[in-house]
Amino acid sequence: MEKFLLRNIENPNSTDINEYIKAGGYKALLKAVEMKPADIVSEVRKSGLRGRGGAGFPTGMKWAFASADPKKPRYMLCNADEGEPGTFKDRPILEKNPHLLIEGMIISGYALEAEYGYIYIRGEYPAAKDILDAAIKQAHEKGYLGDNVSGKGVRFHLYVHQGAGAYICGEETALIESLEGKRGQPRIKPPFPVNEGFLSKPTIINNVETLANIPYIIEIGADAYAEIGSPDCPGPKLYSVSGHVKRPGVYELPMGITLREIIYDHCGGIRGDKKLKAVIPGGISTPILPADAIDCPMDFVNMPKHGSMLGSGAVMVFDETVDLVKVCYRAIKFFEHESCGKCTPCREGVGWMRAILERISGGSGTAEDIDLLIEVSNNITGKTFCPLGDGAAMVVQNFVKNFRSEFEEKIH
Amino acid sequence: MITVTINRKKIELEKPVTILKAAGMAGIEIPTLCNHEMLEAYGGCRLCLVEIEKMPRLQTSCTQYVTDGMVVWTETERVVEARKAMLEFLLINHALDCPYCDKAGECDLQDMVAKYGPTTGRFAEGKRRHPESFEDPIIVRNMERCISCTRCVRMCSKVQGAYAISMVNRSNKTFVEPFSGGKYDCEYCGNCLTVCPVGAIMSRMHRHAYRPWLIEKEVDTVCSFCGVGCSMVLQVRGNSIVRAVPKKGAGSNKGLLCNRGRFGYDYVGSSGRLDSPMIKRDGKFQRASWSEAFTFIADRLKKIKDENGGSSIAGIASGRCTNEDGYVFQKFMRAVLGSNNIDSVASFGYAQAQRFFEGIFGQGVTANSMRGIPNSDGVFVVGGDPTAVNPVLGLQIRAASGKGVPVVAAGYMPGLMIFATSRLIPRPFTETALLSALVTELRDIKGISGKGPFDILINDIPSVSLGEAEEVCGIPSEDMRSAVDALSRMTNPSIVIGRDILQQPEGQACLLLLAALISLLNSRIYLLSELPNEQGLVDMGCLPDMLPGGRHLSVESFRRRYEEFFGVDIPSNPGMGIMEMIEAAHDKRIKALHVMGEDLVYNMPDSAYVKAALSKLDFLVVHDIFMTETAQLADVVIPSLSWAEKEGSYTNLERKMQLVRKAVEGKGMEEWRAVSEISKLLGFDMDYKSSVDIMTEIANVSPLHKDIAYADMAGGECMWPYKGEPLRHGMSLEGIEMPDKGSLLKKPEKDRIYIGIDKPLFHFENLSRNSAALSSIAPEPYMNVGKALADSLSLAGGDSVSVSTGTGSLKLSVQVDPDVPENSIMVPDNFGDKGAYTIMKWKMNSAIKAPVADATGVTIKKIKRAAEEVAV
Repeated sequence: MEKFLLRNIENPNSTDINEYIKAGGYKALLKAVEMKPADIVSEVRKSGLRGRGGAGFPTGMKWAFASADPKKPRYMLCNADEGEPGTFKDRPILEKNPHLLIEGMIISGYALEAEYGYIYIRGEYPAAKDILDAAIKQAHEKGYLGDNVSGKGVRFHLYVHQGAGAYICGEETALIESLEGKRGQPRIKPPFPVNEGFLSKPTIINNVETLANIPYIIEIGADAYAEIGSPDCPGPKLYSVSGHVKRPGVYELPMGITLREIIYDHCGGIRGDKKLKAVIPGGISTPILPADAIDCPMDFVNMPKHGSMLGSGAVMVFDETVDLVKVCYRAIKFFEHESCGKCTPCREGVGWMRAILERISGGSGTAEDIDLLIEVSNNITGKTFCPLGDGAAMVVQNFVKNFRSEFEEKIH
Repeated sequence: MITVTINRKKIELEKPVTILKAAGMAGIEIPTLCNHEMLEAYGGCRLCLVEIEKMPRLQTSCTQYVTDGMVVWTETERVVEARKAMLEFLLINHALDCPYCDKAGECDLQDMVAKYGPTTGRFAEGKRRHPESFEDPIIVRNMERCISCTRCVRMCSKVQGAYAISMVNRSNKTFVEPFSGGKYDCEYCGNCLTVCPVGAIMSRMHRHAYRPWLIEKEVDTVCSFCGVGCSMVLQVRGNSIVRAVPKKGAGSNKGLLCNRGRFGYDYVGSSGRLDSPMIKRDGKFQRASWSEAFTFIADRLKKIKDENGGSSIAGIASGRCTNEDGYVFQKFMRAVLGSNNIDSVASFGYAQAQRFFEGIFGQGVTANSMRGIPNSDGVFVVGGDPTAVNPVLGLQIRAASGKGVPVVAAGYMPGLMIFATSRLIPRPFTETALLSALVTELRDIKGISGKGPFDILINDIPSVSLGEAEEVCGIPSEDMRSAVDALSRMTNPSIVIGRDILQQPEGQACLLLLAALISLLNSRIYLLSELPNEQGLVDMGCLPDMLPGGRHLSVESFRRRYEEFFGVDIPSNPGMGIMEMIEAAHDKRIKALHVMGEDLVYNMPDSAYVKAALSKLDFLVVHDIFMTETAQLADVVIPSLSWAEKEGSYTNLERKMQLVRKAVEGKGMEEWRAVSEISKLLGFDMDYKSSVDIMTEIANVSPLHKDIAYADMAGGECMWPYKGEPLRHGMSLEGIEMPDKGSLLKKPEKDRIYIGIDKPLFHFENLSRNSAALSSIAPEPYMNVGKALADSLSLAGGDSVSVSTGTGSLKLSVQVDPDVPENSIMVPDNFGDKGAYTIMKWKMNSAIKAPVADATGVTIKKIKRAAEEVAV
């Protein structure tokens, strides 16, 4: 498949605007500003693009909601708080292809009549922050950003804001709170950000990869775009593969490719040709799959039918040597650390699960502990303020469901 | 119409509310910990989860609004299990030290676990440890008990606007911490204590002193620390107050209190309280019986009256006393002693401003409901910091600001600075330049609508351009321009006026300019009132020229009414004002002074002068609860009762009459009772059995208070004229002098340092020195100084300085605040012999009979570090 998102990144000077333009960059922007904003929104809607942050919400629909709110100004936010464990798909865009994101944001800003854009980037990506800042400066100099974008009288200013290291700030309302200078905690919804977001104004938040798809849709047209990948979930997708494969890394492949194809055809199979034990297909929050369940098409529509979710497309591969109880414990330790503390079940329950897992994993668990663990996780599920706590509970439930014997083996 | 069904009960609603509210209306209880009626919804504790048909997930009823046709279940097995689970979660890291915790017995968590929770816990891991923090003098934090509901944080930031505390850390390591670290360094309103559902944030004042179920009595009363008159409840055990708490949803304060009200009550139980009448013989106080003291007073007053006439005797009332005290006292002065020499410190500003505005706009014009402030579309504040003088009124302005209402702050008011959209800080005593420029601009924009006499007067006010004003007051023209823009857009603004505006050479002109502004903007007026019954002093005729009911002595028919009622003649000439009395005492024109509860030496400017004047009197009687500096000079001291020890009424700045109720027994005597006893000995029978009798008399004779009874006040909405005669209209423009342009544009003297009075949030007159709690928050006198002056004197925050004038010198600690007006220092007047009044020279403004700060050469010398003298 022809690469789009990762086009140009082999070029050692890929972050330079001239190189980007040489490879066909900013053409989509020039095309877009000749279109009516509403036409761009309907084009994106027609393309079937779904948000790449993990939830897979139709981007065009989100945009339409925002366009329908007459309040001004509107803000265009890019969620670059790539914090889901196992996920590093946005990083190549941010570090190697920053102008693709900038171009996507300008087009989106124009389409949604937002004059200000912010890229909220995780604090752990300091290099990317510098690269983006430099790229934004170049874009200004070339006239793609500012008060008169490409001489068309369009106004768009773009800023980069660094997070301070909280996973929760990847949740869009917590991200907005943080951007406003407050403690990063999710807000009550409704109102939704598209109506009352940043500074209580209509705000559109899209993931880096989502925005990077926008120039492509404009370039080849919605119809051609919709032809790529799965029918209900089209487009190219970045999969970040880590763990026990021969060639870990970020792969741009069409939506709907199977997990087996990713692991065996593209990543060269299991390291040392060992046996595959399990795969987490979409970042730590998505249900773990046993080795025999990897013939599933990786997209937002089909993965739930196979017992998991696409999430961020972060594939974590575990071979036969891996202690999955330890993996589960480590995952929950992460969630405990990252629970924002707002709601009771997540704040208290996840720490409790960690303590039980620590016991089991350390060999001092009791026979009742596995059931208690499941009960605690059930008491979290469906009762938390935001999906973070639910995600943690789900991790425990799926690990125990698929690999209960491994837990039992730890209990003497 | 929205119809929602909760547990089979159909509820009809006009507009959508949360499920929690709707359930509450229908009498269905849904437990919650993070929700609070005074705070916006949070959705954190997850205790109020309910099941809604057609929604797969349980929803929090505090955040979910009802929709038409919604069917809600609050007690299904799923809901009950979830609730139990939440309580189990809340307890795993909770200290569970109920037997030791002061909150036990009134703890929401304890109650809920008892009602809904699991009976045993399954958490086998170690709990979070967090040592109790005693770093603060007033507030003790126990974060092992904290359940992270954030009520305190939301109260502090969204309602109080103090932004002093925050949640810190994440996950189960979350806890509440002041930004300043261990000590709170906040406004100490203690409203976080009100909302804390558990024992995580508690007052140290009654730590381990009682259990909630050991409270024997709860007395509904009114706070006595300023003119707002917040509703509060005094909780009593034995004969002592164990706690002052706000009354939920009641009064103008609606559940809020400030630090003074909440923590300052402890002076009532102070060991320094007077417990016996004292007569001074041979320069020494000796204990005396009540009758001995009263006879002594009556004999001396009679002698002085017989020899020198009633006008040689003067009386000074106090705004801390009740309406009943004030009424009886003025009756005593007028009818018994035949003197109109009666006044109080209300005449330093409050009474004058009120009289001026009432003269123009009509009676009662300055008395407006505080709730009007957040409902107005603009606020203009001048002459004092409302958040310090009348803290809960200040919160209304912050609330307005929070709603996006523009707030124009003219003058030094640290508590409003971050809430003000326009900050106009003129140089010392140049408010006239600022105000006249605002009037000039707004007069052009708004135009004068009518041809009424006051409109003509407004037209005659000399025009002052923004440029001319800038030259004088130092505020950049563009800042004034943006304030004018904001003001001109307001359609129903509130103007809040403090007494500082009067205490300057052009005080009278300031009032006229403010009246013009009020008229041009069609705004409501609020006068800041430092004393709990300042309005009551005015209403009860504790003024040299006014009788109870707000009518002038010279109104023949009105005076006759009182004469008939009292059965004696009342002198028709106005008496002396408070400043005149002190001067007259100094010149020996008055021989005797009867002081009812005022510490004149420290609550009046120029302490040394006041002291000298009082020493020259032939006879001085003082009623007070402490042996104040003034009482020390008296011939007889009568111990009186504090506000918590007597019955009566206060009238607040909204002119709302509220009941003061007895919570504990005191060893003194109500001022009215003592005065009646003396009166009887002087041959004038005042036969009041209780304060009720006095109010009955007031209701009989004062037209403003016609038919008012205590029962009316108990409802909390008794604003005069409750059933009285209609209020008089204004438009008496007599005696208003039109200032010339030169006097409006007087520049401050170059290179001179001005002293301004700072009104600290933590103190109340000089009484609060007797409160251990308030003194522990703010023990030291200080001076606030601007950045430029501090730099030129090489001063930094925390430095010690000696501030000297021709009158005296003070040792103060330095606080640098960039908002202090140029070339001035702000010094509080609350620290007795360390207060501003001890070093300030004042003179009388004859037009408004109020003291005006006089030019004094100020020398500021740095102590401790390099002792270089900086003379100015």
